[in-house]
Amino acid sequence: MKKLFKYLQNFCIIILVLPFLVVWVPSILDGFLTGLSPAYRSSLVLSFQQLSITLLATLLFAALITLTLGYISILWSAIGKIIAAVLEAIESVPAILIVLFSYAPAARYLASHSEASSSAVSLMIFIFAATLTILPESIRGITLPLGELYYRKYSLSFRSYGFRRSKILAVLMRTDVMRHAFKRIAAGILLKILVLDCSFGFIIQLGFGSYGTPAHASPGALIAANRDALFQGGYPLLFWLPVLPLVMISIAFLITLTNNKENEK
Amino acid sequence: MFAVLGTMGLVSLYFLSIGVPIEKYADAGYSFFLLLTGSTDFSMANPGYSASAIIMSGAGITLPLALISLVILVLIALSVAAISTTTEYLEKKHGNKIIPKLLTFGKAVSILLAAIPLFVGFWVFGEKYGNNAPFLLIAFITITLGGLGWDASRFLLIDMQRQMGTTHTMVFSTLGLPLGRLFPLPGTFSGYLLSSSFPRFIPYLAGKVPAIIGGVTIAEIIFSFPGLGSTLLDALLARNTDLLIASVFILLCVNAVVTFIVKTVLFFLYPRLYEKAI
Repeated sequence: MKKLFKYLQNFCIIILVLPFLVVWVPSILDGFLTGLSPAYRSSLVLSFQQLSITLLATLLFAALITLTLGYISILWSAIGKIIAAVLEAIESVPAILIVLFSYAPAARYLASHSEASSSAVSLMIFIFAATLTILPESIRGITLPLGELYYRKYSLSFRSYGFRRSKILAVLMRTDVMRHAFKRIAAGILLKILVLDCSFGFIIQLGFGSYGTPAHASPGALIAANRDALFQGGYPLLFWLPVLPLVMISIAFLITLTNNKENEK
Repeated sequence: MFAVLGTMGLVSLYFLSIGVPIEKYADAGYSFFLLLTGSTDFSMANPGYSASAIIMSGAGITLPLALISLVILVLIALSVAAISTTTEYLEKKHGNKIIPKLLTFGKAVSILLAAIPLFVGFWVFGEKYGNNAPFLLIAFITITLGGLGWDASRFLLIDMQRQMGTTHTMVFSTLGLPLGRLFPLPGTFSGYLLSSSFPRFIPYLAGKVPAIIGGVTIAEIIFSFPGLGSTLLDALLARNTDLLIASVFILLCVNAVVTFIVKTVLFFLYPRLYEKAI
């Protein structure tokens, strides 16, 4: 029964992240949303395509740095303390401020270059800024269980066999506890990036209009561009259409996070 | 110190990356000094912005909004954790099956609320209330939508559930004291669990202060409140460096003040655990 429930849950998660798959095959949408203007439809598809690229690229970049720094923090505790102090300072600054400041220096470049190059640079800046805001929590997510395994559970018996610290850590990284930790961190990273990307896109669109940075499209910016659709005489579907897939995707990440926290218990 | 160094660090990085001449550093430094000393007209490049006006936008709007949000976050987390742990206790001890089903429904609702983007909630309510939206409502949206309340409740709940299996909790449950089903008041079962989890929950709250400030900043921009979020956006729009420095500084100060309040609570409640927890 438990296994069936797990399969059902995984199936639900796949259904919930379907918007990401659908936008890469836009012909699927041909029969739907026929009442909408082609410009809006292409913006909708483009914004979710770019969101999926942003999520994937940031996840890969952030996961690589998280794994490296998390491993190093336990391997050399002196370096770990320095990393922890730096990350604590970063964590004390609101994420939205970090992203705003990361974009500010590049604003002129993004405004003066072609759409393709400014979009790529904008994406790179976002990946850098988002990774910076994610790192404190994700590295803690690695070092806490890894440290607990190393210092409390296995270290003594492993050491008694004469294994080196790096070898012990390499073995511990492959345990079930760490696999659950990786899954939880990945879901956490994805959720945070999704929220940050869309909130930032919304605020910039609200403050600067379509000429503001980031230059890469975001569902948040699309929602902000159609925010007046909620007013009298507007067409509310234009506002709610990008919100619905965002909520679906967030629920998928939240379910993954909930499951992993329960496994952790 | 954190706010002063943080502002200097962020602004220096900004100046370095846009390559401003050295005189600009000196001008910005002097403006920052005037701000710190509370000058009525701190900006030389953009006269008219007084330090006290910017400080007031932080003290009058951003700080109270952040504090109210923090209080709501704590209340929601405590209440959810108390309801969930006592329900689990009743299910294990007395085989109660109805309330756990209601709880599953509650969990589903909390996930749904957490999945709704914060700015969508703000915009929908902003359309209804405009600039007259009550602080309490904004603080409530900041916490319930976007996942802050969900995360805090889960953190506290998991910690309290861990305490449930311990021997000292089992001994306490034999004393026949009330369960504290809605709120973990002192002298109740859930209150006892909370007293064990609090030293970990308070540092967690301190870590969430920047996220609360971030949410409040978004609210100020969307509701057009004259708080620090709007000032910051205005400064970026007008490329007004002095105003940017001032708003970043005050924002970091608000952040530091709220974090300090949270850590002071830990210090007074658990002086022996303070150093270890922080």
